[in-house]
Amino acid sequence: MNDSPKLIQTADLLLEISSLLMVSGANTNRANLSIDRFASVLNVKASSLISHKTLIMTLIDEETNLSCTRVQNIPPYIINFSIISAISKASWNAISENWTLEQISNDIERIKKLNRYPRIVVLIAVSLAGAGFCNIFKGDYLNMFVAFMSTFIGLYVFQQTHKLKYNLYIRIFLGSFLASVSASIGILYHIGEHPQTALATSILFLVPGVPLINSFTDLMDNNILNGMVRFTTGLMIVLSMSIGLFLAMYLFQLN
Amino acid sequence: MLDIILKLLEVSFWSGVAALGFGILFNIPRSAVFTAFALGFCAGLIKFSLMHFHVHVVLGSFLAAFFVGLICIPMAHKIHQPPVVFSIPPVIPMIPGYYAYETVLSVMNFIFMEGDASKRIVLIDAIFTNGFTMVFVLISLTVGVALPMLLLKKNTVKKIEL
Repeated sequence: MNDSPKLIQTADLLLEISSLLMVSGANTNRANLSIDRFASVLNVKASSLISHKTLIMTLIDEETNLSCTRVQNIPPYIINFSIISAISKASWNAISENWTLEQISNDIERIKKLNRYPRIVVLIAVSLAGAGFCNIFKGDYLNMFVAFMSTFIGLYVFQQTHKLKYNLYIRIFLGSFLASVSASIGILYHIGEHPQTALATSILFLVPGVPLINSFTDLMDNNILNGMVRFTTGLMIVLSMSIGLFLAMYLFQLN
Repeated sequence: MLDIILKLLEVSFWSGVAALGFGILFNIPRSAVFTAFALGFCAGLIKFSLMHFHVHVVLGSFLAAFFVGLICIPMAHKIHQPPVVFSIPPVIPMIPGYYAYETVLSVMNFIFMEGDASKRIVLIDAIFTNGFTMVFVLISLTVGVALPMLLLKKNTVKKIEL
């Protein structure tokens, strides 16, 4: 029975890794692949049920045939591709250098502490993306300036409400409402040639691109349940965005 | 001719910027930032050139996404990152957010605002056209990005010899 605490430790580590991957925006297939890679290094066989909010995993030690089943809840989703990239690299290094349990868990601790971009960089980059969208949909440079400012205000509110721990859909509603109110002021004063374009593109920073793309890749991999969950999340986000926009348009009588 | 090319390059540049902005929002590693911009630029160039020659937006998006999925394989080897990291940001600017917004707007106008029967029919037309364009563009984007890997019958880039 000496192996049992070690098996529990291994199960907790593998659950931690797959929960990190799911939170950071990987699809279900990637989470499964990473579990298999790490499990093969640690000489265990892993079978897991991955859902949107909970992970269940059974580990079987290949030498002693002892087994261990653990369940873990997944925290709220925050997309972070640096973590996906770092875990992918760690899994390949672990295979080629035959890492021990301690080495893997030290590396995962290091990965969890990776820095994000500074907040002001994110704000400016996403606002530039909003201006870019405005150009794609045939806005001129004054429209792009309005789109830049509206995206900036919307994203600022979106981040600020995250600190206050509001519900995600309320945050998206508030972000899209305030962004479209600021873009509507551009329509009131006729800034630029197509002020309507600035209004339509000011809320596109909230577009649920990652949930929708992951939903279709999950469906293609036959992870139908997770795919449907992600698709519904995407639809809910689109709905809250459009309620915010609709309310702003209603207030400014822009129909 | 020259001003059409310049206009295309300008639009592609801004799709590159949009890809970069979303990349930073998703916190991609620093070494993938330039790749995300370059792929966004190329995808935009392909999509808007095709649309300039009156190719439908669904097919244009599919070919652009297929290009991204294909070029990702050698790129992943070159900059040592898994392909998701720089294949999703360039696709985001092509996400049919505009169609989604038009669809929901028409639905809400249909329910809350419009009483006139002939205008309601125009709204139904808008709901179906925009809604199905949105779904088909979404499918073509995701299938386009995933197709190169599916055709090579591999689930990891690492095993593909170049």
